[in-house]
Amino acid sequence: MPDNLSDFPAGIELKDEDIYEAMRAIPGYLDITPGDFKEIYRLAFQHALERLSRAVTAAEIMTTDVVAVHPDTAVADVAAAMGQRGVSGVPVVDADHRVMGVISEKDFLSRLGVPEARNFMSLVAGCLKTKGCAALPIKGALARDLMSAPAVTVAPETPVQAIAALFTDRGINRVAVTDPEGRLLGLVSREDIVKATLGRGLPC
Amino acid sequence: MLRAYFRKMASTTQSPPRVNLAEIFWSWLGGFLGIAAVAVINYGLLDKTSLLLLIGSFGASAVLIYGAIKSPLAQPRNLLGGHVISALIGVTAFKLLAPHLWLAAALAVATSIAVMHATRTLHPPGGATALIAVISGPQVTNLGYFYALMPVGAGALVMLAVALLVNNLAPQRRYPEFWW
Repeated sequence: MPDNLSDFPAGIELKDEDIYEAMRAIPGYLDITPGDFKEIYRLAFQHALERLSRAVTAAEIMTTDVVAVHPDTAVADVAAAMGQRGVSGVPVVDADHRVMGVISEKDFLSRLGVPEARNFMSLVAGCLKTKGCAALPIKGALARDLMSAPAVTVAPETPVQAIAALFTDRGINRVAVTDPEGRLLGLVSREDIVKATLGRGLPC
Repeated sequence: MLRAYFRKMASTTQSPPRVNLAEIFWSWLGGFLGIAAVAVINYGLLDKTSLLLLIGSFGASAVLIYGAIKSPLAQPRNLLGGHVISALIGVTAFKLLAPHLWLAAALAVATSIAVMHATRTLHPPGGATALIAVISGPQVTNLGYFYALMPVGAGALVMLAVALLVNNLAPQRRYPEFWW
C-alpha cells in the first residue's frame, strides 16, 4: 500500500527521497519510516481535501444570474447572448425552466464547417483558409439542434470536489444546478470552483 | 495467495536517516547520566538493604527516552505507565502460575503488550519489566507487588527526571512531546 500514490493529485506526488530529506532536516531520531510517513501524508491529504470540499456545496458557489435560452431560440441569438455576457456556455431550458441541455462554444465549433474543430484557433484557421463565414452551416439552426443533451446536472448540495471530478471525467467546463424537478437554479463553472478555492485560503 | 503472503516480507521503504553528531552526543550523555543516577542509588544507597532500583529493562528505556525522545513510545505517559502496568502484570503472572515459569513468562509479556496497547502506554521495555518479575528469582519475586513501586516505579521516575533535565539542555531538543 505505501507505494500506492494514485490518490495524489498530479504534481503533489511525494517521493521517498523527499521525505528522507525532510527527516534529515529535523534534528532528532524520528521513530517512523519514510514509507509510513508517506502513507500518513496521503491519507491526511485526502482527508483535508474531503473536509475542505465537503464544507462547500454547489449551492454556495453557483452563479445564479444565468442567461438561459429556449430550445427554439435561434443559434444566432444564442451566440449573441453568450458574446454579450462573456460566457462560454448557456443552459437550454423549456417553458417550465427545466434544463434540457447546455450549449457551449464547443457545440458551436463542432458544427461549424471546420474539420476537427478543437478550439477557437482551429476556427480562425478554418476561416482564413476558406472563403466566406465558417458559421454558415449552422445559420438558421435552433438551440435544440446544437445543444448537448441531456444536460449534466447536479443537485445544490453536491460537494465541490464531486463537481471538480465530474468536470475532469466528462471533459466539461460547466454544470447546471437543478432542483429535484430538474428546474434550473444556477450554473457552476470551472471558474466558480477556482474562485471558491481561493476565497477559502486553500493551499495552491 | 501464498505468493502474496511471502511478498509482504519484501521491503517497501528504507531505514530512516542517521542522526547528526549533536544528537548522538546528547543521546550518549542522557543515557550515561540516567543509568548512572539509578545505578548510584542502587549500588550506593541500597547496597546493604534488600531493595533494588536498577533493573535490566531500564537499559531499554534509556534508548527511548534519551535516544529517541520524539517517539510516542518515549513519552512520560508511556515510560511510567508502561513500566508500572507491566510490573503489576508480571508479578500477578508469577503469583498465579509459578512454578510453571514458561507459561508465566509468556503470559506476562503478552498480556503486558495487550494492556499497554489498550491503555495507550506502549513502552517496549515494559515487556522486559514484566519478564523480569517472573524470571529473576527470589531477590525480585520476594518483593511481591512492591516490585511495581520499587524498583520499577521509582527507578522510572528517576530516569524521567534525568530525561527532563538533560534532554532540555540540548539546544535542538525538547522533551516531552506530551505528558499524559
